[in-house]
Amino acid sequence: MDVLNRPKFQNALKALALLVMAVFLYTRLASGVLFFYINQRFIAYTIFAIVGLVVVALSYRPTARRDEAGGALHSHHRLGWVGLAIVMAPVALGLLVPPQPLGAAAMQNREISVASQARSALPAAVRAAAQKDAVDRNLLDWLHAFSASPNPAQEFAGQPVDVIGFIYHDERLGENEVLVNRFVVSCCVADASVVSMIVRWPDAASLPDDAWVQVKGVLQPGEFNGRALPIVVAQEVIPTALPNQPYLYR
Amino acid sequence: MIVERPKAASPVETPSLARASERRVRLMRWGLTLVVIAAAFAAIFFDALRGGGAVYLYQRVQTFVTIFLGIFIEAVPFLIAGSIVSGLIAVFVDQAAIDRYLPKAALPAALVGGGMGMVFPVCECGVVPVVRRLYEKGLPLSIGVAFLLAAPVVNPIVILSTYSAFGWGPVFVGRIVFSFLIAAIVGFLFGRARPEEVLRPAVCQLHHDASHPVHSHKHDHSHHLPNAPLGLRFQQAFNLAGDDFFDMARYLILGSMLAAGMQTLVPQSTLLAIGQGPVISVLAMQALAFVLSVCSTVDAFLALAFAGTFTTGSVLAFLVFGPMVDIKSSLMFLGVFRRRIVVYLIALPMLLSLLMGVWWNLNVRW
Repeated sequence: MDVLNRPKFQNALKALALLVMAVFLYTRLASGVLFFYINQRFIAYTIFAIVGLVVVALSYRPTARRDEAGGALHSHHRLGWVGLAIVMAPVALGLLVPPQPLGAAAMQNREISVASQARSALPAAVRAAAQKDAVDRNLLDWLHAFSASPNPAQEFAGQPVDVIGFIYHDERLGENEVLVNRFVVSCCVADASVVSMIVRWPDAASLPDDAWVQVKGVLQPGEFNGRALPIVVAQEVIPTALPNQPYLYR
Repeated sequence: MIVERPKAASPVETPSLARASERRVRLMRWGLTLVVIAAAFAAIFFDALRGGGAVYLYQRVQTFVTIFLGIFIEAVPFLIAGSIVSGLIAVFVDQAAIDRYLPKAALPAALVGGGMGMVFPVCECGVVPVVRRLYEKGLPLSIGVAFLLAAPVVNPIVILSTYSAFGWGPVFVGRIVFSFLIAAIVGFLFGRARPEEVLRPAVCQLHHDASHPVHSHKHDHSHHLPNAPLGLRFQQAFNLAGDDFFDMARYLILGSMLAAGMQTLVPQSTLLAIGQGPVISVLAMQALAFVLSVCSTVDAFLALAFAGTFTTGSVLAFLVFGPMVDIKSSLMFLGVFRRRIVVYLIALPMLLSLLMGVWWNLNVRW
């Protein structure tokens, strides 16, 4: 009889696979890498998953009672090598490929919402953004504020800006201009969309894609793709480390 | 008395047939895995030819892994919860109760199934193992299908999240009403089908034993164990949960890979640029919903981004069709239903929600 088909071996294999997955999730959580993948408010779910996986794994432990029940605990499902390989794929990929949050490479495939393009948003989020002081607004807050205004390019001119984001060079931009971006996530990175502001900075060309920067500057009326919108004229562009939470949450 | 059933209708296959079908299933799994991997590689290399080279390729792979793990990590809690509920149902729910309290006629069954999500709030990952287990307990087909399709939308959590995104209005009301209707219609259509035509052989056999106890001459497949000590019953429930988890996780993982691959390679703008016409816009949003495979609890917030620029009918189609069927859930259906039926379960909701979206675009001015 194939070793793989022995009930004891099957139980041990299943328990081990579940535990490996639980440990994998726990290390993502403990190292903060979890925020590269999901919205922070879903942390509780991940903790639940870890507990659930461990509880289910422990149920496969051999017990005396199992034998007493005369084989009452039987399972119809056999885990083969292919099944095992597929189930372990997330762990393998997670360990082999160094974790990175979505960045410039992912932007080529997405709609870029640069300010002022009319995007509907939660009314509550727009109100909250409007109540914040200009320097406290993040990229998403600014986008909300712009979307509530009929003519943001003029209305916001002169306001101070202090935002953090990563660099992306878009070919439609003018000279000395660069996009500073954050991904916005409501559930997991599958639903990520990107919010961006155009930053004018003499050394813009020297900033590499994916570099994280803090931009301090002032809003001025500008243009992108033939559309009037506010752009940031930077006074300072400070390289920063990857934030603990790389995404903004809707 | 043992009644000999006609061979064609017999859900119990002869050993050689069973082995052949098992081999087919295994071949199909291999085939599916290979197709996914080959498609991903082909697409990535084709993509790399457009420019970039090795660095570009590496970034693409990294984006793919990030999105894949995102979908998977987000879905795992719901899958393990669904599996545990399924295990508990297997051990603690009496088959007789399902027989006694749930309707069998197609129409009431479909309506009950469509509303069952209000009682069991599950999303599209959790609902599949629960439905499979209920089928093994002899649940009528119509109830299961309607429940499977409706529960990801018609449940308190999703109703709340849709309300907080869209407020009271056409999208909120339309989403709930049409999800319920479409699920009930599809469920109703399955009212006349025979379980052995619909369910996978392994599920079907238990279903048959449960719903025809008189004919059953095999040993009791029930995991009910009413006389066993409580601890043992819980252990059995969690054992079954683990088996369910492994069975479903495979489909979830392959589905997440496909969805992540599509997201990495197909620019959203191509889908969205397709058009604004009353028909084309609906098709584009359906395609987007299928490709994105976003969890139903939050897709309302995502749809909000399109609400300004896309027709209401198409946004509605995104919100109705997406939770019922997407890449990962349709792969998970393969663990419960026969392949032909999975095609129906994708095509029928797709056509019905297309009809709904186009009708809405042409006729409704809210």
